[in-house]
Amino acid sequence: MQYLLLIYSGEAPERFESLSEAERKSILAEYTAIMETDGVRGGAQLQPGTTATTVRVNGSGEALTTDGPFATTKEVLGGYFLLEADDLDTALEVAARVPAARMGGAVEVRPLVER
Amino acid sequence: MQYLMLIRYGDEYRERLERASEAEIDAVVAEYAAVMEAEGTRGGAQLQPPETATSVRVDGQGGVLSGPLTEGDEALGGFYLFETDDPAAAREVAARIPAARLGGTIEVRPLVER
Repeated sequence: MQYLLLIYSGEAPERFESLSEAERKSILAEYTAIMETDGVRGGAQLQPGTTATTVRVNGSGEALTTDGPFATTKEVLGGYFLLEADDLDTALEVAARVPAARMGGAVEVRPLVER
Repeated sequence: MQYLMLIRYGDEYRERLERASEAEIDAVVAEYAAVMEAEGTRGGAQLQPPETATSVRVDGQGGVLSGPLTEGDEALGGFYLFETDDPAAAREVAARIPAARLGGTIEVRPLVER
């Protein structure tokens, strides 16, 4: 089964900025280690929500674009990992290793529709 | 530049698909497949419904589990990963994703380059 690990940043970016350089390096190494974990098929950090463009198409077929993310709550997506795992528990173990999960953010684990 | 296209939808989208004829559904499925095969598309998938989500936060005691972190129209239904030098091309592809005209929205987010 494939799972998408959605990293919601919460307070993690502010906390990250407040860390020493050594601590930041250690956290970046943790992200790299997850990227290299067995079963991880991809992943990326998103640029900040302010870089987002939101697209809708109206009844006349015209595209309406607005600047900024659609989700106006504090739950801004900061990145993701794509993971192949035998079961949800394995996926949750990887999710709990994502540094943002302990720095004021959270990781949502969603199974993908298999094709 | 790579872009993540976040496909968000809620009840309106689901209701519209429920009301659609089989031929209309076939056309929508074919449109999603066409976006998947578009030049520049590097991947994509549909997510299982939000109620299948498990979320993890880690506090001093360990992992704390809960349900989805977004709901309603904000809930993520799927994504495409798209590569292009032209931001306008990314928006054009986003507008071709059926959810954009069926009550959902497409959020186009550039990735941090490594």
